[in-house]
Amino acid sequence: MKSKLTILLALLMATALILSACGGQVAPETPEPVEPAEPGATEPPAPTEAPSEPAVVRIGYAGSPDTLNPGAAVLAESYLIFELVYDTIYDLNLDGTFSLSLADSAEVSDDNLVWTFKLRDATFHDGTPLTAEDVVFSYDLYANTEGYPWMGDYTYYFESVEAPDPKTVVITLSEAIPNLDSQLVFLYVLPKHIWENEDAVEFENTEMIGSGAFKMVEYKQNEFVHLAANKDHPQAPKVDEVIFQTFESNDALVQAIKTGQVDMVTEFPATSVESLRATENVEVVTGAPFAPTVTDIIFNQCTAENCPEGDGICSGHPSLQDRNVRLALAHATDKQKIIDVVYLGLASPGTTLIPDGLGVWYNSSLKDYEFDVTKANQILDDAGYLDTDGDGVREMPDGTNPLVYRLNWPSDSIDGPRLAELLGEMWAEVGVDTEPQAMDPDALTAACCPAYDFDVMLWGWGSDPDPNLLLSVMTTDEIPTGSSETGYSNPEYDELYYAQGAEMDFETRKEMVWQMQQIVFDDVVYIIPYYDPALQAYRTDRFTGWITDQPKVELADPTSLDVIEPVQ
Amino acid sequence: MKRQQYLIKKISWAVFTIAVVLILNFFLFRILPGDPARSGIHDPRLKKDAVEAIRVRYGLDKPVINCIEKVNPVVFGGCLVNPLDTQFFIYVTNLFKGEMGISYHTNRPVAEILVERVWNTILLIGAGQVLAIIFGVIFGIFAAWKARTTIDYAALLSSLLAWSLPTFWLGIILLFWGSANGLPIAGKATPGMSSMPWTDQWADILRHIFLPTLTYTIVFMGEYMLIMRSSLLDVLSEDYILTAKAKGLSTFQILKDHARKNAMLPLVTVIAINLGFTVAGALQIETVFSWPGLGGTIYESVNRRDFPVLQGTFLLINVSVILANLIADLTYSYLDPRVQSES
Repeated sequence: MKSKLTILLALLMATALILSACGGQVAPETPEPVEPAEPGATEPPAPTEAPSEPAVVRIGYAGSPDTLNPGAAVLAESYLIFELVYDTIYDLNLDGTFSLSLADSAEVSDDNLVWTFKLRDATFHDGTPLTAEDVVFSYDLYANTEGYPWMGDYTYYFESVEAPDPKTVVITLSEAIPNLDSQLVFLYVLPKHIWENEDAVEFENTEMIGSGAFKMVEYKQNEFVHLAANKDHPQAPKVDEVIFQTFESNDALVQAIKTGQVDMVTEFPATSVESLRATENVEVVTGAPFAPTVTDIIFNQCTAENCPEGDGICSGHPSLQDRNVRLALAHATDKQKIIDVVYLGLASPGTTLIPDGLGVWYNSSLKDYEFDVTKANQILDDAGYLDTDGDGVREMPDGTNPLVYRLNWPSDSIDGPRLAELLGEMWAEVGVDTEPQAMDPDALTAACCPAYDFDVMLWGWGSDPDPNLLLSVMTTDEIPTGSSETGYSNPEYDELYYAQGAEMDFETRKEMVWQMQQIVFDDVVYIIPYYDPALQAYRTDRFTGWITDQPKVELADPTSLDVIEPVQ
Repeated sequence: MKRQQYLIKKISWAVFTIAVVLILNFFLFRILPGDPARSGIHDPRLKKDAVEAIRVRYGLDKPVINCIEKVNPVVFGGCLVNPLDTQFFIYVTNLFKGEMGISYHTNRPVAEILVERVWNTILLIGAGQVLAIIFGVIFGIFAAWKARTTIDYAALLSSLLAWSLPTFWLGIILLFWGSANGLPIAGKATPGMSSMPWTDQWADILRHIFLPTLTYTIVFMGEYMLIMRSSLLDVLSEDYILTAKAKGLSTFQILKDHARKNAMLPLVTVIAINLGFTVAGALQIETVFSWPGLGGTIYESVNRRDFPVLQGTFLLINVSVILANLIADLTYSYLDPRVQSES
C-alpha cells in the first residue's frame, strides 16, 4: 500500500521536473533577446538570415511619455518623442544654437515685429502634404487652448499667424523679442486635417501623424514607444526602427544595457557609472543635459514690505535677509564634497541659476566663493552674529533668535536627504544649526511661494534653451506670482531683465545677461551646489556614429538617431 | 433556509463594506496635503489661470460636499448647494456609470487605464498563485507524510526561507540571473510583436512572464507549504485517522479521502485573503520587472500624485479583497457545513 503513494509522488515529482524543465528551456530556445519586428504588418515574417533584416535601435529609459498630445505633455520623455515625430520651424542644436528646419529661410521686418518663413517641401506620414495652413492651425491651437500648461508661454507675443500662400508663414509679434527661435522649437507642427476634428486637450494622439524623421508604429503607455524611420524625410535616418522601452527599476535598466537587451540608455543612477565603464562594449557619456537642470539652495529673503498680500506668511529667518550671512554660508559650503557624495564627482559646481548647459548665455567669468570655514566664521563674527550663550549656535546681533534654519526638500528627491545632511554638517562648523525635514512636493509648493513660509529649501529648475525664464525667477515682479522662490528684490536687476528681453542685438543682450548673473552671484541669492549632469550609455557593438563631442549630451535626439548606423 | 440566511447575511455585509470603502476612498485622497491642481505639474511657473483651467477640468473647483468646501484644510461652505454639483456626488454617480475620473498625469480616463492594466495583473497573479498552490500543496503533503525526517526538515527550512525572502530582493536576484541567460527582464511583450501571429505573441508573453511568475511562485509557495504541512499534521493526529488506519486503509487513501479535505480549510482562508491582497502585493514584483499591471500603476501614481488613478486602483483592490473574502466564506460553508450553523 505504501508503494501506491510512492508512485503517485514520483509522478508528481516528474510533473514538477517537466514543468521546471519547460521553464528552463525558454532561454535557449531563442538566444536573441529581442526579435526585430517587421516594418509592414502584411508581410510574412522574413527569415532571420535575410540580409534585409531591419536595424532596430532599442533604447531603455526609466520613464514613459505622460501623453502624446504636444500641448498637454509635461514630461521630457514626451518631448523626446515629439522631436523625432514632428517637425518645427527651428531645431535646437546640441551647442545651444538654433538652425532652420521646416523653413528654408527666415526674414524679419525692420521693426523686428514681422517674421516671414518660407517652408521647405514636407509631407505628413499619412501622405498629406504639409502646408503653411497646418503651421497656422498648430500655432493658433497652442495659443488659444486654455488647458495647455506651457504653450501659452511660447506663443505669448504672437499677435497673428498667417499663411499668404501654402509655402509661406508670417508671424506678427506684439513686441520685438530677441528669442523667437527658442520659442518656435517647442511649437510642433500638427496636421490640421486630423486635429481640427479633435478636442485639443482630450485628444490622446496615439496614432501621432507628424512629418518628422520618424513615424509612430505603436505606443503602449508605460511599456514602449515603437517608431519607424521616415525615409522620405530630408534627414532620413539610416536605421529602420527605434524602440523606447520603459524600465520601472534602475537595476533592470543597468542590467539591460550590460547584457545587450537594449542598445542605449538615456539615464541611469550615478552609482552605476563605474560598473558600466568596466563593462565590455559599453561606453558611458556624460555632459550637460539637453534640457539643463539646476539644483538650488534657496534662501528666503522676502522682506516684510515685499510680502505678498493675502498669500504671504513670510516667516523666513531674519538673518537670511543679510547678505553677510548668505556669503558666509556660501564660504562654508564645500561644493566639491557635495558633488563627490551626491554625484560621485560627475557634476560641475554651479554659480547662478543660469547653468553651463546654456552655452553662450552662461557667465563663465564668475569665480566661485572658495570653501573656507575660517573666512565664513570671520564674516559672521564681524557682522555681529555671535554665540552669546555658548551652545554652539550663533544668535542675531541683538542676542535673540539663534540661527536655526528649517531646511526642507521635496520628498520625491533622491539627492535631497544626502544634500541636506551634508549642508547640516558643513553649516554647523560656522555655528548655524539646521532642522532638516523632507516635505511632500505639494506641501513644499504651498510653503514656498508666494507664502514664503520657510527658511532654506533644496529644489531645482529645468531650463529653457533661452535664459529668459530662469532670469525672470529673480525679479521683484515674480514675488506675488510665486515664481520667485527667494523673494529677492533688486531694482538694478529688474531693469536689466526688462532691457534684455527687448534687446535685439545678440552681443549686447549677452552682456546684459552676464551682468545679471554677476549681480545675483554677488548678492548670493542662491547657493548652486551643482548643475545636474546627463548620464547616458550606449553599446559600441551595435550602432556607431552617436554624437558625443558636443557641449550637450542627448543620444536620443534626432541629431544622433538620424545618423547612427549598425555596426558591420 | 439556514443556508439562504447565511448567504444573504454575508452578501449584505459585503455590499455594506463596499459602500463604506467607497466613501472612505473618496475622502482619503482629499485629506492629503497640497494642491491637486499643481500635483501633476511640479512647476511654480505654472500661471494662475492655467491652474484654474486644470481645476475646472478635473472638477476641483466644485465644493467637496454640501457644507464642506475643502477637506484639507477644512473649509466650510454653503450647505444649500445642489448636491449633484458637489465633487462627492459626481464621484458616486460617475462610479455607477463606470467612470472613475481622468488621470491628472496622463489625461486619460482612469477606467480605461485600469482595464488595460488589470488583465496583466490577473495574468501574473493567476499564473503565480496556481503554481504556488500546486507546488505548495504537493510539497506540504509530502513534508507532512515524511514528518520529522531529513526531507521534512529540508522542506521546512526552504519554505521558511522562501516565505521570509524580501520579494523585491528575490526579484532582483532572479533578474540578474535571467538577464544573464537571455530572458527578457522588462515589460510584457517585445515591441513590434503585435503584428505577429498570436502563437508567437503568446510565446513572447510566456518568456516575459517567466521571471516575475517564478518570483511570485517562490514567495507564496513557502507560505502554502507551511500551512498545508502543519494543518495536515493536525488532521493526521485526529482519532478518525487512527480509525481509518485501523480499518486497514492505505496511507494514500487516508491522505486523499480523509485528511486532505479537512486540511485544506485553513489554506482556503489564506488563499482567499491572498488573492485579494496580492493584487497590491504584486507591486514589488511588477516594479522590478516593469510589468504593466496594477502594482506598477500604484507605484507610478504615488510618485506622480495621480489621485484619480490611485482612487480607482484602491477601489478595485478593496472590492476584490471584499469579494475574495465573500467567496472564501461561501466556499467555507460548502467545505465545512459547521460554519453556517455556528453563525
